[in-house]
Amino acid sequence: MIPGVGGLRYVLLPLLLGGCAALEFSPNQTWVPPAERNLTAQNLTRLYQTPPPAPADTLRFVFIGDSQRFYDEAEAFVRSVNQQRGIHFVLLAGDLTDFGLPREMRWLHHRLRHLRVPYLTVIGNHDQVANGRLNYQRIYGPLNYSFEYGGTRFVLLDTNSREYGFPGTVPNVAWLRARLADTAGTRRQVVVCHVPPTDSDFDPRLVLPYAAALRASPRVVLHLAGHVHRFSAQQPFQDGLSYLTGYSFGKRRYQIVSLWGRQRQFHLETVTYADVR
Amino acid sequence: MRTCAKPGLWGLCACLAAGPAIAQPSGQGPFLTVQVGGGLGLVAVGGGWWGGRQRLEPELLVGYVPRALGSRPLFIFTAKATYVAPRPRLELGERAWVQPLAVGGFVNYTAGRAFFVRSVRTGRYPQGYYWWSSAVRLGACASLRVVRVREPGQGFRQVLYSEWSTNDLYAISRASNCRLRLTEIVVWGAGAKAGL
Repeated sequence: MIPGVGGLRYVLLPLLLGGCAALEFSPNQTWVPPAERNLTAQNLTRLYQTPPPAPADTLRFVFIGDSQRFYDEAEAFVRSVNQQRGIHFVLLAGDLTDFGLPREMRWLHHRLRHLRVPYLTVIGNHDQVANGRLNYQRIYGPLNYSFEYGGTRFVLLDTNSREYGFPGTVPNVAWLRARLADTAGTRRQVVVCHVPPTDSDFDPRLVLPYAAALRASPRVVLHLAGHVHRFSAQQPFQDGLSYLTGYSFGKRRYQIVSLWGRQRQFHLETVTYADVR
Repeated sequence: MRTCAKPGLWGLCACLAAGPAIAQPSGQGPFLTVQVGGGLGLVAVGGGWWGGRQRLEPELLVGYVPRALGSRPLFIFTAKATYVAPRPRLELGERAWVQPLAVGGFVNYTAGRAFFVRSVRTGRYPQGYYWWSSAVRLGACASLRVVRVREPGQGFRQVLYSEWSTNDLYAISRASNCRLRLTEIVVWGAGAKAGL
């Protein structure tokens, strides 16, 4: 405050108060409000508060990838998913952001938090640009994690090998193998990542060990990935395991995946949602 | 004041160190800046030159974001230019006034191995893999300021400002998303300037 100009306080005070919420030190800062940290843990807590389906019942979840710079579509996506019945959660297969900025993650969360079911994510390559990896860890949580729900273990891992310069350690195949080997309390397993092993951004030295780890786990029902912005379903390793890629938000489509039984049984339903009004 | 006839940042520092008695607040000359926020750092310090009949303020700033806020220390180097509209002007006294309209632009560079000017130069990506620079940001800003001048020889011209800004990546995000609110892409900062 400039001394001797008392009236200034009436000008500056509202500006200061109004501005503090928008205070930003850098687009790459990793500081976010505490309520917007550890969203993976928050969403898992929310998921576990919902009774899982009985063992004989079907587990249903929404699968989509690459929300990136599609915020208008995210709002339409939320409206559409909220109209679905019997959905347990949403799986978002990476590339939450375009530029790896925390504000982008917050823009997305400010829309997806209106989902009636929790959403769970895995990190994508765009999410690792600049300070992105640190942002993801602070805002969402671990890069590799797993959770169990409805007798199913979901294993989510970072497969964005190119972002690390193909060091031979991403994805962490040993960690994946260990998570898949632990079958206690699970009837089936689903592996989720961003870059599929058939893509050139996946470390070529790890493709076969990765596929072998999945092949050695008979309870793996599906492999889900994003990155390519379109739906595909194939068995690239001719081992009976289906590798799916999901639509991006820009396609205004998503899949509802249903799992049941002990075998590799699943059902896919494509939902097209309307344009933003 | 003759010692500041060819002032620069060091000249201003010398004048400031010598005390206000030798300064002549003319509105033309060097100034020092301290800014908080606005995407330029937790604190950014630097200086520039009041020119163009007190309407133009080119300046250079160095900003710092500590590890606690950035997960790693960030250093941000900014070149910024502000145009201050002489009117409207709200008088607050004989030597103080509010200028509600100042607009400007900036370009800055965030140092560090995590940030690239061109993605291909990291050696990790093929040509054009990421089209933008994660190290260089362009921005636009608008500010409101309070100006106080002193009697000749009595002290420095002082400016306090409250600034709202955005950057190229936020603006691009807004351009393709009409439901992304302006309040979501605007950031705030505030600062002070003092000079001759």
